[in-house]
Amino acid sequence: MALAFLGTAVIPLEAQNVSITRIGEAVAVRAPGLGLIKGETLAQLKDGRSVRVDLDLAVLPGPGGAAAARSRQAFVLSYDLWEERFAVTMAGPPPRSVSYLTANAAEAWCLEHVTIPLIALGKLRDAPFWIRLEYRFLDGDTAAARDDDAGITLKGLIEALSRRPKESGLPHAVEAGPFRLRP
Amino acid sequence: MALALLFKARMRLKALLVAHILTLLVFAPLASFAQETEAPDGARINSAQVSGLEIGRLSPGLREDIGKLTGTSLNREQLQALARRIEEEQPRYVAAIRTALETDGGARVTFVVARIRDENRDTDVNSRYIVDKVDVRGVPERDLSADLQKDLQALSGKPLDSDAADAVRSKLKAEFPNYDVERRTVRADERGHINLTFVLTRPDWARWLRYEPIDANALYHSDQGWGAVLPLTVGGRDFHVMPYIAWDTADDLVEEYSGFGVRAESRRLGTDRVGMLFEWSTFDQTWRNPTLAALALNPQIPGPYRNRMSVTPLLKFAITPQFSVAGGVGITELDPLIEELRVPSQMANVAIGSVRFKQQWGSGPRFDHEVGTAFTVRTGTRALESDFSYDRYLGEADYQFRSGERHRVFVSGMFGRINGNAPLFERFTLGDSRTLRGWDKYDISPAGGNRMFHTSLEYRFHDVMLFVDGGSVWNTGADRRIRFSTGAGFTPGPLFFTVGFPINTDEFHAVFTTGFRFGISSTGVRKF
Repeated sequence: MALAFLGTAVIPLEAQNVSITRIGEAVAVRAPGLGLIKGETLAQLKDGRSVRVDLDLAVLPGPGGAAAARSRQAFVLSYDLWEERFAVTMAGPPPRSVSYLTANAAEAWCLEHVTIPLIALGKLRDAPFWIRLEYRFLDGDTAAARDDDAGITLKGLIEALSRRPKESGLPHAVEAGPFRLRP
Repeated sequence: MALALLFKARMRLKALLVAHILTLLVFAPLASFAQETEAPDGARINSAQVSGLEIGRLSPGLREDIGKLTGTSLNREQLQALARRIEEEQPRYVAAIRTALETDGGARVTFVVARIRDENRDTDVNSRYIVDKVDVRGVPERDLSADLQKDLQALSGKPLDSDAADAVRSKLKAEFPNYDVERRTVRADERGHINLTFVLTRPDWARWLRYEPIDANALYHSDQGWGAVLPLTVGGRDFHVMPYIAWDTADDLVEEYSGFGVRAESRRLGTDRVGMLFEWSTFDQTWRNPTLAALALNPQIPGPYRNRMSVTPLLKFAITPQFSVAGGVGITELDPLIEELRVPSQMANVAIGSVRFKQQWGSGPRFDHEVGTAFTVRTGTRALESDFSYDRYLGEADYQFRSGERHRVFVSGMFGRINGNAPLFERFTLGDSRTLRGWDKYDISPAGGNRMFHTSLEYRFHDVMLFVDGGSVWNTGADRRIRFSTGAGFTPGPLFFTVGFPINTDEFHAVFTTGFRFGISSTGVRKF
């Protein structure tokens, strides 16, 4: 079942294309190059630490609007040190796992499993709508140390000036639209 | 000892595997395979499949090799080798081979795979690998309790148990509350095996020595104008280099100065207790008219200069994590204000000694109570070829109380005294963005003073603050007037906006300061 993609994605974090897809009687998001697994998160995973990421998908009647429907799902990412591939476990009863994935495939797998039932869209099923995808990393293994004496550091400056300052703990949002479901 | 434990753990695992294989082979498959005839070696394989495990969890190479079985002749040794590979890749599973003769004389091959244990599902993909070695870095092994050492040993010789590893991490945190604990996992030498390392590092607040504070700021004072000191730190936990520039800064000294400098500092010279600092700086001065007028009226105060260049090497030693001492020299050359007069430059060389104390109560890095004190002596003497002979004493103390995330109270005090004829940059001032907020230093004491004391009480609710400052700066033999000020401010992050009012004055005057400020007070208490 095809879906019409009517607009160009407006992404505050980085330029990329976001599209929606229909999985059975639900809507999911495709966002190649979302970049969940990179930077600090990737470094943590390659250190053999698992990282939890919470994804929150919302359907909005317009840009920046209140959510008409939403779905949340938690995932645990880990990196197979010997196979050099990623694994994902989806939390919840029953937990589901997949392994031997590339970073892109792991991201795609996560996104496929955050779906909003079509029935929850209500009137938006026949109208243009926007989606907002929020993700937040939770890593209990990360030290909360702060270098009190350091002042303005080069590392801090780079983080402050970079588009993705620090993954852990901070939510990131990607908003795109308008989309319309093709009958 | 470790080898014995490893061997013991492996034997236990092997026994467990055998038991489960027996269970698998004897009971579970009976129901599904009871009616089927086993295929003989050499039979053509019609299909090969894996049951009991999502085939996607196997490596592509292994999946491909299993797929390639179809169409080949049945060879049990080959099948057993593949079963072993499944077990190697999935250490928490056992694999058995079942074959069934189909009606066309071909064989159906099934790798029956079952999980060894059904404890909490581990979300870490590396939990299928055997932990060879467990290390703790950052603290001596002798400092670990026997209980903890036992727990660490228990992690090795079996598949990674993330829950158990996390429990050990928690125990390490409890035994070493002044450390951050990180768990890292790396490949071991043997394929399918990993090593586990717990890395303990002291966070900044728990270090024996702290980096010398620098007041990094860019601020506007409604009476004194704009100014900035901007350092950029490059380096790590033990050593850093900090180049910095100053631009029209008049916030801390009598003089307004612009220039640059570089500071290199180590907090670890072989041991956490010993550190060093080396700083070089050069600043050009601009003198405000009130200062020049005050100097003209008081010729006993050493005159202004055009450029101040300093070199300061310091050696630091921590007696305890709370208490440290430092000693060194400061070599400063002051160029004459009017170059054309060809007056030789003057040297202001000093011996420097300081003691610092800092203590926190509560849990880091956000403590309920923090106390920091510092006492510094700078002595200019002819023995150091100094043209100025003086002793300068400065004592500072800060206390911070934090109640939850909302309420903070700061109490601070400092006093200073100069005996002899100190150059202008050593003289004390009050009435800037941190002291006697509401007063202007060029009104109070435009050429500074050789005596000073100051106290401050500040309350913050979230980012809103109220303060009361009091203090005096004067010269020996002159009248001492104690001034007070009060005001309010808003401090979102490093930004600050304050408005201060002098209290004991006969005219209404408001002083507005704004800008940003990073870093900590000179006593080490984070106030800004």
